[in-house]
Amino acid sequence: MKKFLSLLLAAMMLLAAIPAMADSPVEITILLEGNNVTDDAAVLEQLNAYLAEKIGVTVKPVWGTWSNFNDLALNAVNSGSDEYDIMFTCSWTSNEYAPYAQKGAFVRLDDPDDNLLAEYGKELAEALPAILLEGAVTDGIDGEGIYAVPGFKDFAQMNTWDVNVTLLEKYGYTLEDVEKAGFYGWGDIFATVKAGEEAETGETFYPFIFEGAVAERNVNLTPAVAGDGNSVLSYYMNAEDAAQPGPNGNAFVSKYSTPEFEKYAKQMHEYYLAGYIDPAIAIGETATDAWRNAQNTARYLISTEVSLYGYEVTTSAQRGIQVAYIMSTDSPYIDNTSVQGAMMAISANSAHPVEAMKFLNILNTDAYVMTLMNYGIEGVHYTLNDNGEVVFNADARATYSPWTNGLGNVTILPPQEGQGADFQERFAAFYAGAKKLPIYGFTFDKSSLDTEFATIVNIKDQYALRLFTGAADVDTELPELIQKLNDAGIQKIVDEANAQLEAFLAD
Amino acid sequence: MTVKANTRTVKGNHSFRLNQISRRTEALFHVILGLFALACIIPFLFVIIISFSSEDSIRTIGYSFTPTAWSLSAYEQVFKMGDQLWRSYFNSFLITIVGTVLSVAMCVLYAYPLYRKDYKLRGFFSFLNFFTMIFGGGLIPTYIICRNLLGLSNNYAALIVPLLVNPFNIIVMRTFFQTSVPFDLVEAATIDGSGEYNTLLRIILPIVKPGIATIALLTSLAFWNEWFLCLLYVTDRSLYPLQYLLMEMQRNAEFLARNSSMLGAVGAEAAKTLPTQTMRMAVVVFIVLPIACAYPFFQRYVIAGLTIGSVKG
Repeated sequence: MKKFLSLLLAAMMLLAAIPAMADSPVEITILLEGNNVTDDAAVLEQLNAYLAEKIGVTVKPVWGTWSNFNDLALNAVNSGSDEYDIMFTCSWTSNEYAPYAQKGAFVRLDDPDDNLLAEYGKELAEALPAILLEGAVTDGIDGEGIYAVPGFKDFAQMNTWDVNVTLLEKYGYTLEDVEKAGFYGWGDIFATVKAGEEAETGETFYPFIFEGAVAERNVNLTPAVAGDGNSVLSYYMNAEDAAQPGPNGNAFVSKYSTPEFEKYAKQMHEYYLAGYIDPAIAIGETATDAWRNAQNTARYLISTEVSLYGYEVTTSAQRGIQVAYIMSTDSPYIDNTSVQGAMMAISANSAHPVEAMKFLNILNTDAYVMTLMNYGIEGVHYTLNDNGEVVFNADARATYSPWTNGLGNVTILPPQEGQGADFQERFAAFYAGAKKLPIYGFTFDKSSLDTEFATIVNIKDQYALRLFTGAADVDTELPELIQKLNDAGIQKIVDEANAQLEAFLAD
Repeated sequence: MTVKANTRTVKGNHSFRLNQISRRTEALFHVILGLFALACIIPFLFVIIISFSSEDSIRTIGYSFTPTAWSLSAYEQVFKMGDQLWRSYFNSFLITIVGTVLSVAMCVLYAYPLYRKDYKLRGFFSFLNFFTMIFGGGLIPTYIICRNLLGLSNNYAALIVPLLVNPFNIIVMRTFFQTSVPFDLVEAATIDGSGEYNTLLRIILPIVKPGIATIALLTSLAFWNEWFLCLLYVTDRSLYPLQYLLMEMQRNAEFLARNSSMLGAVGAEAAKTLPTQTMRMAVVVFIVLPIACAYPFFQRYVIAGLTIGSVKG
């Protein structure tokens, strides 16, 4: 009896193994960024069943979080591990896209000899705006090309002033007043609102509470420079047409030495002395909490936001006031940090690059796959209301919230509650009107000046936030900073950056 | 009985304090030690208070010993985290207990031969041990060996094995053997016919209990507070120890704050899904409680260890 049973068992195992061997799906491991996922079993079951049937692939996501992603990616790249087939990458944290591509960590997707993108990613290449693929081109180990699939998301920068319209209208002002007066003319509005609020509540009220670096960017129209993550360099944008060369031409200058910066800092200091600015935002440790708290509790008049299309709907509902965003530029503009903001690369050590590309293709073009991976299962993690908008089930969503923008093409997702049925069309149209900066595509390679750069960053860190937020006495501290920067050789860095930019533009 | 005899003062002569320092100096010492104790306790009290503060209070007046409103919401949220919290709690206990037992065993078994004068290779093994304290392989080679060669990835072994041997503890343990166990004892045991294992387990070990307790306390603290190994080798959330869970919450918040000028609205939305500040403090309370409870247990032996083996006054 025993013998018979074991024979039977062996036969069954053999039978079970044969079809599995014939076309067992390939498992692809993906390292992702910024997630809050504790239970993905149900989603993966559905997703993998679908993927296995469609393209013969199953996926195993590693849900990196904001905090551990960099370490995971760095470890994998440095140790040459074949653990991940697909890796998230971007240009704005330490896990920079360009350096990793240079190091040979990623597969070149449009390699002339083995063009994965053309062969297995045709639909994907068609679905993405040309400008995105163009922005993904970098000088990697196998020549200039695309080393990662860029995510179709809010790929243009929208630096804004965040205005509490409810409070503004309480004192008889309109949004146009704020817009017309501009940064240098807000003094009267601040004075009125501050006095009024303080008389009413008896507590100190700061009408102007913002993020220092973004405020400077808003006023001086100085976009972030790729590779200069610590804001030492300024590129002045053309105020009328972001696609044209700026007032200084296509060149970088030392951020703190310009007359524009001095004018900005002086005005800020004036506001600061008048008590319009919360001192907490001038201190690194408390700054973010302070201005975010002020926004969330609606205790501000004007703030800053690096915003998204349609974001005022979300924040107005959350804060219980009417929020408006005044863009600092006429149209959103495109720079590297926004285009390379969320990408997916295929690891050079992956054993299955073809299957990985097939997966990226279906993820970015098949609304079912994207929605399932991003929002979970309909009826479990969310339901659709009559307008076809997604309404999340809070409890289930709490265990499964991937970072939406980190997953790829968000324009094929159904709209969320309150966004309206045609949200994605409006979203895509808005970003289609974005202007390309002349320096678009340029990344400052500071590797030859690492030591000098580190010294400069240390020096500017002592002053920058205080100058951005008006806490510093401009007449004494600004010359001091400029002097120290000059002594530390900032000109060398500016010259090097300009030389690189010239070479880049000449290409 | 002996305790009572020690505390008896000389009768009828209160101004004369035998073998004691003057009252004034004593008071001064008490104040200093009291302040020191406060400095240790206050931060923890502060954490407890914050964990019971309401979010609104923190938003308006920041961290404070006297929040404007109290709230249990942080603990409610912690309990709502569900499985992950208890799972991590279990992991922390498992890693600490298994790790401490194994680590102490290895430490004693390494240190004992180094103490035996009749062991020929003790110089070599002492050096081998000492050498690793000064020269390490560096992070990346260590990582590659642990991960690729030893297969320490996404398993409990990854959280235990790299910490098992602590050269410093071995040296402490060897010195403890040398100072508290006369070698005559080993010789006497051998003459009486005791085998090597018998000598170690039944004669030596009972004597060095305080030393073992000290090492065990240090080791269990190290295991309990460990998060770096998890960061390096573990991506599977079901293996996270509590300490790493907290670390992750904290670092997530910091990351979003640091990159807010890049992430903007996206970051702000992401930050809303993160645990609140009071909740993080509640998790701290959860982390500190068990190890704080373990202290009194070990303390008995540690104090005994301090007073044993030296010349007594």
